[in-house]
Amino acid sequence: MGRRGMLAAGAGLGLGGAFGSPVLAQGARTLRVRFGADVSQLDPARIFQNENQSVASHIYSGLVQYDQATNAIVPDLAASHEVSADGTAWTFRLRPGVTWHKNFGALTSDDVKFSLDRVLDPATGSLYRGQLASVREVQAPDPMTVRIVLNEANSGFLHKLCAFNQGWIVSRRAVTEIGERYSMNPIGTGPFVFDRWTPGSDVRLTANPDYFAGASTLTDVVFRIVRDETAAAIALENRELDVFYALQSPDVIERLRRAGGVTVLDRPANNTVNLVLNTTVGPLRDVRVRRAMAHAMNRKALVDGFFRGTKFEATSVLTSTFQEFTEEDVPRYAFDPARARALLREAGAPNFRFEITTVGLNPFDRFPVALANDLQQVGIQATVRVLERGAYVQARSSGNVQSCVTAVVGPPDPDSPLVTLYHTRSHPPGLNTSRYDRADDLLAEAARAPDLVARKAAYARLLRQTMEDLPVIPLYADRLFIAHGPTVQGFVQNSLFTVNVSPVSLRGA
Amino acid sequence: MVGHVARCVGQLAVALLGIVTVAFFLMRAIPGDPALYMLGDFATTEALAALRARLGLDLPVWQQYGVFLLRAVQGDLGTSVVTGEPALREILASVPPSAALAVAGMAIAVVFGVPLGIIAAVRQGSAVDVGVMLLALGGISFPVFWVGIVAILTFSHALGLFPALGATSEPGFWKGLHHLALPALVLGLSVAAYIARLTRSAMLEVLGQDHIRVARAMGVPERRIVWKLALRNALIPVLAVIGVTFAWSLGNAILVEAVFSRPGLGSTILKAILARDYQLVQAGVLVLAAAVVLLNTALDLLYATIDPRLRQR
Repeated sequence: MGRRGMLAAGAGLGLGGAFGSPVLAQGARTLRVRFGADVSQLDPARIFQNENQSVASHIYSGLVQYDQATNAIVPDLAASHEVSADGTAWTFRLRPGVTWHKNFGALTSDDVKFSLDRVLDPATGSLYRGQLASVREVQAPDPMTVRIVLNEANSGFLHKLCAFNQGWIVSRRAVTEIGERYSMNPIGTGPFVFDRWTPGSDVRLTANPDYFAGASTLTDVVFRIVRDETAAAIALENRELDVFYALQSPDVIERLRRAGGVTVLDRPANNTVNLVLNTTVGPLRDVRVRRAMAHAMNRKALVDGFFRGTKFEATSVLTSTFQEFTEEDVPRYAFDPARARALLREAGAPNFRFEITTVGLNPFDRFPVALANDLQQVGIQATVRVLERGAYVQARSSGNVQSCVTAVVGPPDPDSPLVTLYHTRSHPPGLNTSRYDRADDLLAEAARAPDLVARKAAYARLLRQTMEDLPVIPLYADRLFIAHGPTVQGFVQNSLFTVNVSPVSLRGA
Repeated sequence: MVGHVARCVGQLAVALLGIVTVAFFLMRAIPGDPALYMLGDFATTEALAALRARLGLDLPVWQQYGVFLLRAVQGDLGTSVVTGEPALREILASVPPSAALAVAGMAIAVVFGVPLGIIAAVRQGSAVDVGVMLLALGGISFPVFWVGIVAILTFSHALGLFPALGATSEPGFWKGLHHLALPALVLGLSVAAYIARLTRSAMLEVLGQDHIRVARAMGVPERRIVWKLALRNALIPVLAVIGVTFAWSLGNAILVEAVFSRPGLGSTILKAILARDYQLVQAGVLVLAAAVVLLNTALDLLYATIDPRLRQR
């Protein structure tokens, strides 16, 4: 950002000369981050897509948050919290002295109540209403205390309040005053303040000097939209960019690993890509057929060959990044075409027509072809139907698909993939296009579990059962790649599909 | 003259109404809608119904069309359902980068294409002619996204002359021009190839005509024959192509925009179609159509100045 921009940003923040001058004297320390797609929606109640969530994570705070490195839940806006003996009442003490961006005043418990009530209000049309389904009432007994009463005990409740999607807290005054245009004019309490959005080009944030956990050493962050990965790699090597987010192409990963001064980081992600089988139609009703398909598909070759080792094999829809993850006694389906043929014969379905519906986005439009080929080898007449995204979502939400390639992305809350894929609440138009109906009780039991040990045991039972029934075949677990230039210091990669540069500083700039 | 302008305005109105109507119904004919796009993975029957009602998608299509037309004539093209921002704002924001790319690209195309075409025609059959036509063949055959990446690798990465990112939102005319140079060159050279081929064949045709032969017999200097007598006649089809290509590059320079990370009208409309952002698509189509119609009108007037025969009609 140029000098004029800095002044404009300073004026926008209502900052006096006393603050403005020293920053200008030091010069701008702008961090430039590559985005693969534009942003579109920064209202936590309606937010979707990784780019939007990445920007929002710099602007907003939650009552609690995931530690970026460990996924442990740590304090954010709430300095402390306690749970009633019966586990149904959660009381949060807010951190004092937190202020909203752009002079929207001090944070109070009323803002927290407003934020959660807003998500719960059907008229808001929030995507995340279901996430707060266990909430009976949100109370604000005094300006610094929030009390949340649940319908029944839920030891995993803090996950729903973590700083992500519905967990991000908004200002009652800002949402009310800004109205319809709030989506692209967000107000938060986080380390960065929304400055401006240039459609198709970039999003600019300026550092919040009053950030409660300590102001960033950066002056601003620019999220620059660079659609082509090769162009983005060259821009990173040329020092036109500092951070390369959403790095996917195996070729570009190889290129950047060889480039001087570039650091390529990777980390297992929370998400898996799955083949969801409709268990209510034709031969797919028979569990032996579903298991035969799992044995027929060479998922190791998919990871090693097609993805050249840039993904992991998945053993269930939970990945190693979840605290509740387990592989113990969870059935596995090794690549075994002979066994697949035997199972199909046993089920009386030696050959049948089978269609994989997938979305026309890289890589989802290409890798299913290899799987269809594997299925043909054991006698299943498999075809792939690639649909443009809008048409794909329409087909999937209608539920009239025999099978569907479905990626589940979200926070390290086990309910995120498990409820989304297995609960009857997620039947079409939701993602449970297998129409599986045997998980509700186990999910409720896991929620009721009093502690992490009991929770883990309940989720383990669920993983075993769902991998035995196999309404969903996990195809691969995702792995996130991010690259950055030599001046970037202190970068921490999370396991969400987002980028957060709050702890980053620039060397020698 | 007044009649001519009135006719133009009338044509503009009819063309815009037709195009917007087609866009309106086409968008609603393709599967998916904005509510599904926004709720995506978390769609429930109730949430879908609530959101569709909020967006007015629960009304019958003809009623939606009526509401849209009524607002459009008042200058209100609605708000983007995804961002909540006025649709026209986002569309108009993407016009300057598109126009800059189209103008700069076309300037490069004309500067290279026309002289090369003339030289090739005058030296028909020579090594120069073969060389120019081979270059032109390459320019037409190589896809711009490939040429773009090669250009970035060469001029930006190896030589360090231009930035790899073909746009910047930072202020400054020269800064903007520095970012624009490479994408304009890639777009311009691909169009220059067309223009060179077309200029060559138009020139050859004119140079073979009787009045040129007469001029030669009368001893008119060759330089005057080529640049004054032949070129003016040969330029008419070339001008038509320049006009069409300019309109084309306003909306269709998507590949160049993608490789060079530039915002633009084409990219914005594509994004809006993928998101089923009806209002944004309609505003984009309207602006694009208006630009094309106005451009063609301007070209018609330009023909008349070049070719006196057209003035008499």
